[in-house]
Amino acid sequence: MIHSQVNPDAAEALRGLCIGLTRQALLAFTAIVAMPLAAEAADGPGTTSTTGKTIALSNSYNGNSFRQVMVKDWQNVTAQEIAAKTIKGATVVSANSSVTEQASQIQNMILQGYNGIAVLAASSSALNGVVKSACAQGITVVSFAGIVTASCAWQVNYDWSSYGKQEIEYIAKRLNGHGNILEIRGIAGDSTDKDISDGVHAAMTAYPGLKIVGTVYGQWTSTVAQKEVSGILPSLPQVDAVVTQGGDGYGAAIAFQNSNRKVPIIIMGNRQDELAWWKQEHDKNGYETFAISATPSISQISFWVTQQILAGKTVPKKVIVPLLRVDQTNLDAYLRTIPPGGVANPPYPKDLVVKIIDANTNHSAMPPVPPPAP
Amino acid sequence: MQSHSIRQSPWLFGFIGAAVLFVATIIVSRGGGASATFHAAMAFSIFSVLVAISQMLVITSGPGNIDLSVPAVLTLCAYIGMGVMHGSNAWIPVGLLVVAAVGLLAGAFNYAAILLLRLPPIIATLASSFVFQSLAMNAGGDATIKPPSLLSAFTSLSVGPVSVLAVLVVLLTIGLAIGLKRSLFGRRLLATGQSEAAARFAGIRTRQVRLISYAGAGLFSGLAGFLLAGFTGGAALNMGDTYLMESIAVVVLGGTSVAGGQANAIGIWGSALFFNLLTIMLNSFRTPVGLRYLLTGAIIILIVTAATRPLTRT
Repeated sequence: MIHSQVNPDAAEALRGLCIGLTRQALLAFTAIVAMPLAAEAADGPGTTSTTGKTIALSNSYNGNSFRQVMVKDWQNVTAQEIAAKTIKGATVVSANSSVTEQASQIQNMILQGYNGIAVLAASSSALNGVVKSACAQGITVVSFAGIVTASCAWQVNYDWSSYGKQEIEYIAKRLNGHGNILEIRGIAGDSTDKDISDGVHAAMTAYPGLKIVGTVYGQWTSTVAQKEVSGILPSLPQVDAVVTQGGDGYGAAIAFQNSNRKVPIIIMGNRQDELAWWKQEHDKNGYETFAISATPSISQISFWVTQQILAGKTVPKKVIVPLLRVDQTNLDAYLRTIPPGGVANPPYPKDLVVKIIDANTNHSAMPPVPPPAP
Repeated sequence: MQSHSIRQSPWLFGFIGAAVLFVATIIVSRGGGASATFHAAMAFSIFSVLVAISQMLVITSGPGNIDLSVPAVLTLCAYIGMGVMHGSNAWIPVGLLVVAAVGLLAGAFNYAAILLLRLPPIIATLASSFVFQSLAMNAGGDATIKPPSLLSAFTSLSVGPVSVLAVLVVLLTIGLAIGLKRSLFGRRLLATGQSEAAARFAGIRTRQVRLISYAGAGLFSGLAGFLLAGFTGGAALNMGDTYLMESIAVVVLGGTSVAGGQANAIGIWGSALFFNLLTIMLNSFRTPVGLRYLLTGAIIILIVTAATRPLTRT
């Protein structure tokens, strides 16, 4: 650009060169000064008004409690923000685990003229076609939890391998690096299950004293986990710890209690029965563990990410969101906020989501999900 | 001589298979957990048996009869039962009655759809299972409702290695087996299943018989849901998922004819134990999950083929 301004005529060339150089220096200077400024400016919420915008959620499945809470969270935040005039309208449509059904629903959203579409996809690749056609019409597409791989869409997701890693690190610390582990996995063939389990196994290479003595598939369901664990227990040596994937901790605990074995360290998820059981055991005999999980309120993150992109904020194409962690110190505070039979599900307000986006942009530490007020 | 008697009683395959698996598991686990393995297998067979009884009643009522709504009725009843009792021990009898009523109604609804809309049972019960599952979603939604403490204690109560609930369900199964052979209704059900037309000519009200068999299926599915929720600490939307395939496989392996008209209640226990021990054994052997499914499928085909061959020849 600068060289194109150099005039072939000698005098002119010199002058041009001088101008060019000064401009170059000036540009370099402004670049140096402006770079941190620009990064600074990228932090914080987007400033363009989204009052006239509409955002839709396309949800691949609505048949389990996680998804139902997730949709409710979406409806809560959108109702609130429509009332606050942040956006003009919102909707949610669920498909029945069917890719074609979800694709046609997204097609309808395009026709209805939504400005942003959040997608929890039934398939990471099969929706790419319809997602691309949405992008081509200038619609912001944000996939979350179940992501799509089309490059024009944003991906909001957990770092699943860190799920397994945090579990193993906690267990290694508690057992001083030595002990037998039972692994409860999720659903065979599911990518989330594979990612978490890979995280577990990768983290275990650092602790040769830890050994996995058995593996069962609990399908993230208490009843299934209880059955599978009860079945494998008689064939196992002493079990010192159980790594889980959430939703299965309570069933595992009951299986151990019914077998008259000493209950090992069982990593819990975010369901009320898991946390309530942990508290009950802690009050009785000082039992300690920790809980880690994905939360249905990730739909609120997807809402704010979509809104922020529409508001002109620069958002990286991949946004990693923090997993919820409950420790002994904030167990009581969490338990108080969960209705019986519900899940720990902290809301993600705009400020927190903006901080999460900024942490992703700057590759800095994730803001922790603040525990409820004690 | 012995093989001849087995061929005449194909349902014995379930018991023999269960025994073989049991011994294999004990050998692998170095004899450590014989009683624990038996206990675990019994505890979970209870629910397999109850859903299989539901399926048996329907399948026996004639060719083409099947109840795909078993898992949905189970889930619905678990939710309604837990919701009615709301954790209170005093309400257990009420909860049980409500569950029984809902189960019977669900079954009757199934048969009404088959009869009035002239739908094949496989379609009618599939459709109604969506209805029941949605009702369960609305009844319980996102929350797991805890069972009353007495119900939980009762479902996991055992004297030594023997579960009290298992003994009760065994007695129920024996009662049912005798009832099918000796009672008037049992005879009518088998006659209807063998040939509806012939049964009608013989003066049997076959519609009434089938209505009762569908309603009874609903009742047992509901009971399974009620007890399962007690045993596992609450109702969950996907608690019934595993029981669709299982109810059918257990019934067929247990010696009940898919073509109807021939029921075997006792055989259900053998095949329920067989299936639960199979899961336990494959887990204990640390079989990779892909292989686990492959083996389960292969073993089911093998056993069912072996068990049903004498029937198709005669």
